[in-house]
Amino acid sequence: MALFCLAFVFFTACAGTREVYRDPNMDFGAIRSVAVMPFLSLARDNIAAERVRDVFINDLLATGAVYVVPVGEVARGAARAEVVTPATPSPEEVIKLASIIKVQAVITGVLKEYGEVRSGTTSANIISVSLQMMEAQTGKIVWSASTTKGGINIWDRLFGGGGQPMDKITQDAVRDLINKLFK
Amino acid sequence: MDNRSSVSSINGKIGRVSAAIFSVCILLSAVFWAAEGAGSNAGPPEQGFSIAVLPVENLSGTKAPVKDIRALLIRRLKAQGFQILDDESLEKFMLRNRLRYTGGINKAVAQAFKTETGVGSVLITSLELYSEVNPPKIALTCRLVSTGENPVILWMDGAGLAGDDSPGILGLGLIEDPMALLEKAVGRVEGSLGRYLNRKPAGENVQSVKRKFKPETFYRSDVLVSNARYSVAVAPFLNFSGRRNAAEILELQFIRSLKKSDQFDVIEPGVVRQQLLALRIIIPEGISLSDAGALFTLLNADLILTANVVQYEDYTGSFGKAKVDFFTQLIDRKSRSVVWSSVSHNEGDDGVFFFDRGRVNTAYAMASQMTRWVGKMMLAQGKRAEEAGEQGGENKMIEKGKQ
Repeated sequence: MALFCLAFVFFTACAGTREVYRDPNMDFGAIRSVAVMPFLSLARDNIAAERVRDVFINDLLATGAVYVVPVGEVARGAARAEVVTPATPSPEEVIKLASIIKVQAVITGVLKEYGEVRSGTTSANIISVSLQMMEAQTGKIVWSASTTKGGINIWDRLFGGGGQPMDKITQDAVRDLINKLFK
Repeated sequence: MDNRSSVSSINGKIGRVSAAIFSVCILLSAVFWAAEGAGSNAGPPEQGFSIAVLPVENLSGTKAPVKDIRALLIRRLKAQGFQILDDESLEKFMLRNRLRYTGGINKAVAQAFKTETGVGSVLITSLELYSEVNPPKIALTCRLVSTGENPVILWMDGAGLAGDDSPGILGLGLIEDPMALLEKAVGRVEGSLGRYLNRKPAGENVQSVKRKFKPETFYRSDVLVSNARYSVAVAPFLNFSGRRNAAEILELQFIRSLKKSDQFDVIEPGVVRQQLLALRIIIPEGISLSDAGALFTLLNADLILTANVVQYEDYTGSFGKAKVDFFTQLIDRKSRSVVWSSVSHNEGDDGVFFFDRGRVNTAYAMASQMTRWVGKMMLAQGKRAEEAGEQGGENKMIEKGKQ
């Protein structure tokens, strides 16, 4: 009984909330090209969203699995489709945009946190991003994921150090999201 | 008599044979030089041609002695024996042709320079950084563009220096006088130009580009052929950094780096600018494929390079670090798709552990190496690309096309 209780405590401690949603009916293998919209930034840093978007586009292209339409072409398409807020397009706008720039899916993102966090005398860099993929034909969300990297850990509290550089945790966060997309 | 005639006939034969060998040698050397000329960028112009030195374009965002820099350049070039177009003639020409932009020349201006002043080339200078705060810092780029119907970049080089680049023992190597640093930077550029014009080999070692300045991650399509020769147009970059003119500065860095490679013919930015103005193309959020298509046709370019500058930071004084961060994409004419994409990020103290050894004090010096890596890796293929791409197991190199 004691062993069972111990095992229960251990296993439930490892349980976490799911950070990924995948539409079970969606054939992700059919997606050959995507458009990445400008990310919505809830962080204080104004250019952070652009930086994270650039890193994400580059890493997604580097997988070789999908082609990412150039950002200028996405901007032209958004203007032609009269998308009111490119960071948060409606399903109708997604359908219209996708038909103009000829993509099978549109990815939007929200940068929730980017920069330094402080707790007492300790500080470290943190990034928190969530992404959504919308299908071009219906405008329906077929994939959604979020990630958080960096932040203050026990070693930072004990020994200081300031955490990892911002570009490193940005790269980690983007790779984590891409792994969740192709898993 | 018979002996004399046979000797003379032998002499005649020897003469004919040696003449034939001589003419074959001349023919072969002519063919060799012609082939070499065709395979490389435009060679140095003939001796005795004159140069028009345009007023310095100030991209530093601060007040700087641009007239002094130009005067210093002219003085140094004259000392080397080059003919420089006098100020009065240049001013008259600029007034007559309403030439206000001094950061490049278009086809019409290049033609006018040739016909109205007779100069063979134009020297365009851009001042990228100027700080008199101790230790002083300066960065400038010069390029020599041919005049006539088709302006071509003949030579391009620059210098980015800080007073504390080489402090030496007990700080004896520190340069505290801004004018001394300026003289050093101008001397370096003028030396490179002199070597080019006097047909001497370039002094820079290609292998000196440090590995820490490679792109963090990159994508390269197999549409790019490693041994091909490409004509590249550099489209205006987008500037998201806090630094004024950072996009223009990084454009110049890329032009210089690609120009150093034998495989890229970089189109003069003044010509690209003129076509963008003529087509009324504004690029607020990056170049679209339709705009790229128009530029490909008008400029006859194979590739268009575009980039977002996220960070381009220099610091004043002794404390701080330079930071450069940019995202690059290359669009191909034939496939109308992105064939290269990379993210580069470096800070001046990357890989520095002891006594500031290896520290880079100016964003110019860092961006110069970062752009060299991008240019080098764009056309590296197979094993060479893998070797170029490996960096502590973090870089990716996936050579897959669009489909």
